[in-house]
Amino acid sequence: MKGSKWFSILSLILIFGGLALSQQNDQKKKGRNLLEIPVVKEDETICFALYTVHDQTLKLTAQLYPLQEGDSKKVRLEINEGEGWKLVAETEIVNPGWTAPFRVENWDDTTSVAYRVLHGPSAKYEGTIRKNPRDQEEVVVAAFTGNSIHPGHGGDISRQDLIDNVKKVDADLLFFSGDQVYDHHRHLAAWLKFGRDFGEIIKDRPTVCLPDDHDAGQPNLWGESGKVSTLAGASDGGYSRPAEYVREVERAQTSHLPDPVDPHQIQQGIGVWFTNLNWGEVDFAIIEDRKFKTGPAGRVPKQGPRPDHIRNPEYDPASVDVDGAILLGERQLKFLEDWGCDWEDAKMKAALSATIFCGGAHIHGGANGRLHADMDSNGWPQAGRNRALAALRKSFAFHLAGDQHLATIFQHGIDEFRDAIWSFCVPSIANLYLRWWEPLEAGANRESGAPEYTGDHLDGFANKVTNFAAANPEKKPMGKLLNTRSAGFGIVRFNKAQRTITMECWPRNVDITDPKAKQYDGWPRTISQFDNYNPNSWEKSGVFLFDQKEPVVQLIDEQTKEILYTVRVKGSSFEPTLPVGKSFTLKAGVDHPSQVVATGVKVGSASERIILK
Amino acid sequence: MSFFKGFNQELKLILSLRVGAFLCLLGWAWVHFYWEAPYAILVWNETVFSWVERGGGDWEKFVGTGSNDGLLQQVVRQLFWVFLIAAAASFAARKCSIWKLIALLMGSLFLIILFYARYLESQQQLPILIEHGGQALMPIILVLALNFGPRCPLTQHVAILAVMLTFAGHGAYALGLWPTPANYFAMTKLILGFDFEASVVFLKFAGVMDFLICVGFLFTKLRRISAGYAFCWGLLTALARPLAGMSFDLHYWGADQFIHEAMLRAPHFMVPLYLLVLWHPVSEHES
Repeated sequence: MKGSKWFSILSLILIFGGLALSQQNDQKKKGRNLLEIPVVKEDETICFALYTVHDQTLKLTAQLYPLQEGDSKKVRLEINEGEGWKLVAETEIVNPGWTAPFRVENWDDTTSVAYRVLHGPSAKYEGTIRKNPRDQEEVVVAAFTGNSIHPGHGGDISRQDLIDNVKKVDADLLFFSGDQVYDHHRHLAAWLKFGRDFGEIIKDRPTVCLPDDHDAGQPNLWGESGKVSTLAGASDGGYSRPAEYVREVERAQTSHLPDPVDPHQIQQGIGVWFTNLNWGEVDFAIIEDRKFKTGPAGRVPKQGPRPDHIRNPEYDPASVDVDGAILLGERQLKFLEDWGCDWEDAKMKAALSATIFCGGAHIHGGANGRLHADMDSNGWPQAGRNRALAALRKSFAFHLAGDQHLATIFQHGIDEFRDAIWSFCVPSIANLYLRWWEPLEAGANRESGAPEYTGDHLDGFANKVTNFAAANPEKKPMGKLLNTRSAGFGIVRFNKAQRTITMECWPRNVDITDPKAKQYDGWPRTISQFDNYNPNSWEKSGVFLFDQKEPVVQLIDEQTKEILYTVRVKGSSFEPTLPVGKSFTLKAGVDHPSQVVATGVKVGSASERIILK
Repeated sequence: MSFFKGFNQELKLILSLRVGAFLCLLGWAWVHFYWEAPYAILVWNETVFSWVERGGGDWEKFVGTGSNDGLLQQVVRQLFWVFLIAAAASFAARKCSIWKLIALLMGSLFLIILFYARYLESQQQLPILIEHGGQALMPIILVLALNFGPRCPLTQHVAILAVMLTFAGHGAYALGLWPTPANYFAMTKLILGFDFEASVVFLKFAGVMDFLICVGFLFTKLRRISAGYAFCWGLLTALARPLAGMSFDLHYWGADQFIHEAMLRAPHFMVPLYLLVLWHPVSEHES
């Protein structure tokens, strides 16, 4: 057995030596270097800070670099209103994650204020808490998704063009819809890099970040109320990474958001952050479209080589709309119903979430080609999708999202085409995974001259969708280039005077203020706020002329007692569009629809003059 | 060893290798037939694209147009047969049956290709290659045992190497030398009920043990204990997949998703079992 012993020794040396060498080499790899946490001096311990202001409460989270043993764990927040710096809050650093969350109540949001975060004797990070843009006619949101840093497809290219463009349009709000971090094991390192890349614009304006699947350390996320996932790909539902990791991610990315409206934790002690942010009289619902969603594996009949993919075009879409499958969940649906009725200090509404409520692509990723339907999209489960859209359209909410790696504009349909809200899915900052919207049949009712892929279609789940634009990437793999992979970002302009929403979709490395700069085909597009719930089958009632400017009105079905919609009127006259053959009660008020002002309102009703007390 | 009563020692050795190879290859056949094998990373890239173009081929015929499958998808789907035939050969092969032995070797070859794809997918983490070494070598060990005998030093050496590869790869992950896979924590939590801190300690202990048993094969007095531990731990970690994932709420109780995960890991416990039987002291009437 002497030979056996020597063979074993040799094998061990080779295996262990190989592992040791490989580990050393891994540290030197380019992708890994990008995520190296720099050793910082004592006066540079604060990496960046994110904040929101809502309902007279400032919430700001400072992100620190890892500290040494013995360093102070206290962080201070000071503001300067023109009379020198004054301390407004002090907090302890939360670790793991090295975050310092501040909360300041009774915040005066009528003026911009300089702030600085201080740590230890010399670390300082400065920015501006901007005033609420209530008096602006237009609120500008810059929206991003998919922040891959992988050099293979241009992820290592500087973000300076994005920084410059946000500054040029002076965006009022930043929205990062998910996948700010793609590394599944080193969120802190990647989050610090995100802060170094975007801190320059984040420090001076409110920012909404929604952690999506990759942020939580997994390729897809069906959170299933915090269950533990064990299946590769996580389609069995739940979180793959330990709850401690998920909590650290959510603390870093969402602890500066307004307080959650229903803060009860889910399984494994994971928190929730769905809430609303009213900024500049645009009321944003911040939705968690992953956290409660059911995982498809084992719940739906298998229709392809992955539990979440449907390859068989002949399958019955109803067969996957199984009882008990959840999308947003009851808690969030209740929130959306309540939020939709609350128009105090709001003229327009929008929902922010990870992704859109349909299967928004046909060809996915690589050699696997066409997918009939992808259950990672919010097109599934269909019943949950319809309930979410039904809740959102009641307040004419526009939907802004990302995650698809493909920029699109859709108008969604529930019972008929175009009877629900519009959505804009923004393109990825750098596009890790290519997708195409390429239906096999031309869309119906297309606009004149529009590409064949636009128009009315059924998505892979037989949901009614109407496409108005898709920034499809080029067909063949093109290496590092950003724009052949349809990378970019979105700008959304909420015009409160006109009550319009303008969607812009920009490629990378252009100056968007240059008149020659060109957006992706299909953009820009402007819609009316009221297009978000204006089915073709509806017709107009008479005109209601109010004695008040911009009152809030609500229509209630007299038979079912269900709210049809609630909205703040543009101007002082309101000409409701309604389903034919039904009668409604009209409630109205200056800020709340508290008075019944008309009954028996139906299509063709006579015009009325309304006096609000 | 009561299960093996009635078999002679040689048969026991061969049987353990046959069962290991059969379960492993059948598990992978199931992946190819029912799920999706990760070959895309090998073929959907600019290098392959340039090869196809240089060879006068058409990229869309190769990968499909999006509305139909290309040559690539059609070929990948048929690989199921390679694994199924190799699995059948695990029991049918004899020393003289050259085609069956070739089928087994083809099984190993395609496993190596598969694991190389996984290695690329993991952004070239060496432990991925190493930990799958045991599975890739399983059909080869069986071929060696059939050809040269289960007691032949070469068969024995390759079997030891297979166990070492599996356990060194697992150990590297469990110890955190590379990021520990999320499902290690998930399985520990679901099966043992450990919280995160306890899971970290447990996995580090398991990782140290993984490396220790590799070293244990160097010492005559420790090699049986090492093989015994490797058999138990390999069996438990293979069974952990269905144990943690299956549920009465799922279609087929989740068997279609999780049983093959245990099957394809059969070499993790059947190769140690082979070594255990090999090093088991043989009484005269047994021999």
